[in-house]
Amino acid sequence: MGIIEVEGLRYTYPNVESPALKGVDLTIDEGEFILLTGPSGCGKTTFSRCLNGLIPHFYSGDLEGSIIVNGLDVREHPTSELALNVGLIFQNPDNQIFALTVEKDVAFGLENLGIPKERMMEDIDWALDATGIDHLRDRGTNELSGGQKQRLAIASILAMRPRILVLDEPTSFLDPIGAERIFEVLDTLNREHRITIILIEHRVDLAAKYVDKVVVFGDGRIMNMGSPEDVFLREETRLAGVGIPKIVELTRKLRGRGMSIPETPLSPEAFIHQINPMIRKAGAQSEKTLHPDLEEFVGEHSSSPLIRVEGLSFAYSPGIQALRDVSLTIHKGEFLAIMGENGAGKTTLVKHLNGLLRPQAGRITYEGADIADLSVAALARKVGLVFQNPDDQLFSENVESEISFALDNFGFEKEVVEKRVGWALNLLDIEKYRKSSPFILSGGERKRVALASVLAWDPDVVVLDEPTIGQDYRQKEKLRHFLEQLRTQGKTIIIVTHDVEFVAECEPRIVLMAEGKIIGDGTTKEIMTDVEAMDRASVAPPMITKVFSKLSAYGLPGDVVDVDEAASLLIHLKEASG
Amino acid sequence: MSLLEGLRFTRGDSPIHEIDPRVKFLLTMVIFITAILFTQLLPLLFILLIQVPLVLIAKIQREWAQSLRGGLFLAVIILVTNLVSIYFFSGKTLTTENLEYALAITVRFLVLITSFSLFFLTTSPDKLSLALEKARIPFEFNFAFITAIRFVPVLADEAQSIIDAQRSRGLELDKGSFLMRIRKYIPILLPLIINSIRRSLELAEAMESRAFGATSDRTNLYELRMSGKDYAVLVVVLLALASVLYIKYVFPPFRQLLPPGTLI
Repeated sequence: MGIIEVEGLRYTYPNVESPALKGVDLTIDEGEFILLTGPSGCGKTTFSRCLNGLIPHFYSGDLEGSIIVNGLDVREHPTSELALNVGLIFQNPDNQIFALTVEKDVAFGLENLGIPKERMMEDIDWALDATGIDHLRDRGTNELSGGQKQRLAIASILAMRPRILVLDEPTSFLDPIGAERIFEVLDTLNREHRITIILIEHRVDLAAKYVDKVVVFGDGRIMNMGSPEDVFLREETRLAGVGIPKIVELTRKLRGRGMSIPETPLSPEAFIHQINPMIRKAGAQSEKTLHPDLEEFVGEHSSSPLIRVEGLSFAYSPGIQALRDVSLTIHKGEFLAIMGENGAGKTTLVKHLNGLLRPQAGRITYEGADIADLSVAALARKVGLVFQNPDDQLFSENVESEISFALDNFGFEKEVVEKRVGWALNLLDIEKYRKSSPFILSGGERKRVALASVLAWDPDVVVLDEPTIGQDYRQKEKLRHFLEQLRTQGKTIIIVTHDVEFVAECEPRIVLMAEGKIIGDGTTKEIMTDVEAMDRASVAPPMITKVFSKLSAYGLPGDVVDVDEAASLLIHLKEASG
Repeated sequence: MSLLEGLRFTRGDSPIHEIDPRVKFLLTMVIFITAILFTQLLPLLFILLIQVPLVLIAKIQREWAQSLRGGLFLAVIILVTNLVSIYFFSGKTLTTENLEYALAITVRFLVLITSFSLFFLTTSPDKLSLALEKARIPFEFNFAFITAIRFVPVLADEAQSIIDAQRSRGLELDKGSFLMRIRKYIPILLPLIINSIRRSLELAEAMESRAFGATSDRTNLYELRMSGKDYAVLVVVLLALASVLYIKYVFPPFRQLLPPGTLI
């Protein structure tokens, strides 16, 4: 018997017509590490709420079928009792931390359970140790970084000693290195403490190598499940709109072109191990013959500088320097990605481009003219800024007036406003929501409304802050195509992101930031393979680049970021080595 | 707002921080009562000055200065309205006594700012909540209080993000007539309210997952225990209270001790 047994689970939220779960059967054995993935809105989160009794105790609605967790029928035991068996960790760490210091927050659940002080201390010690945040014990919770906060959230749940952990997209707000650390913590808990883990995650590239089993959700059902090697190779998984780890993708392509790779690898190390026998002989080949002439496409842009940042420095309060002497030239029509870990100064930099922040030292020019005297409203006409969270700006009664808000502010004529709104609705494919309230739309749709409300006034420069956060694979693909489309219209595009895989697919110019300084500036290939700078900026290179950085001994170029290019190079190498 | 800045707790480890919150609260209350009892400049100046070493020991002089600066504007208003009203009520004349009284009332205000800063800046909300718990305030209220404090910085960040996003969409908060400007806050307040509702739902889910309300016999990681030092401070505070009451009600009034007409 499994530690979790779900049979015929159907659930409909109150006041909603269509069910969120349409018949789920799943057995999970003790000690398994499960990756649960699927497109946004497929029922993953709803399923996680069923496991600790939030459904049906906190959310009413219509529940059918049976859910047995660690021998307990979820319907018959309150969430507070189930919490001792299954711990639920959510996406936003800020909304699950209750105390002002780390130690006290870990204690919160134990205090609620009425556990005596001495035992509480033991549990806290253990939980802090298991998540590797013992050194943060006396820190204030609002001084922690996002990754530290999420590890605290895990520790706080862990202290109650549940046998099962369920994590609902725990790394959405984290940079890749922070995410990797979370996965390592989970791996340790799984291996050393035999805790069953159910990880809901879009970041399959990083997570795949840790898990035993992958369950793919789609439209309220389980579409398919099995070992990660199997699931990610299946066509159904691809069709479900789930991201495929780049290493698996590469393996599939190589097999398709006649290379035999007996086992499907999930990490760069495993991949190299698998292909080693085939390419060993090629070691002596010179780089020249192996490097097919793939002229890299960095994008066409005229050489006329549009925005010039000169010696920019900025501090939010004395002593906390967010930007130090930053100089940067952005050309017309360029596609630029600003990367770096959280707190590196990326957002501070782009807030200067439309005047939200003003330089404390240095200056910024737009088409050669200093912007110091221009108001935010005047600058925003030229530089449109789209923020990370659409909920920080949506407020109108319907999508149409949401989009016309800025146009009215800028004083466009009535007919022009109407035309523009129609144009923007079409551009983002949200015409059908024209009269809907933005609040009833899904997360991805709200993001598109926010984007439309900026693009409507047709700014020359479009800045997007973390556009891929919380987006599933298909939404990201759509965004990438959309950005391409904007580029063909001659727009200058700047994205602020730590999504390396997304950047690797777009191949923009990259500006790498760390501690308020620019520490790297070049093409995607140049920056992604600059190990030293990437390290300093705490940005992990994309999977494919990780593979190729280890293949340089075989005479292969190290600067490969794209799956197709990687496949061609390896086939070429195999043919050359006979 | 900077007046409130002076009330935000920052962690530190001075002897003042370590005093039991109940004793410290009593100390604050004694200062408060003293300030209310006296209207003469000399005793008010005295209790203002007596707090300075405490501020220095607690190493909160910067925050204290900040809240004084924040209170300066109000202090000037208090001084001026007092002087003006006395001037008109007493037939357009001003004596040194009138001036002394106005000054005393102003100093009283500064005393109050200082004593509250001293309390809130050196008492962690966690400890304060423990004290409330000891005072048999139901845990739900206590929890709401801690949560409010915990989310002040989070909400401040969020408000800033919303303002940034709407300004980027051409919203100009400082343009137009007074009424128009008030209307311009709608695009800022609405997302803030909706996000807060959304957040409270998420918080509730997280609370459930942490067994909130599982038992009425809730335990607490920390306990308040009076140390020897706390008792010593308690004795000093009680003695101070006794002498204040003695001076006010038994001891001959201050003015008789001083040569008439001196301005203090």
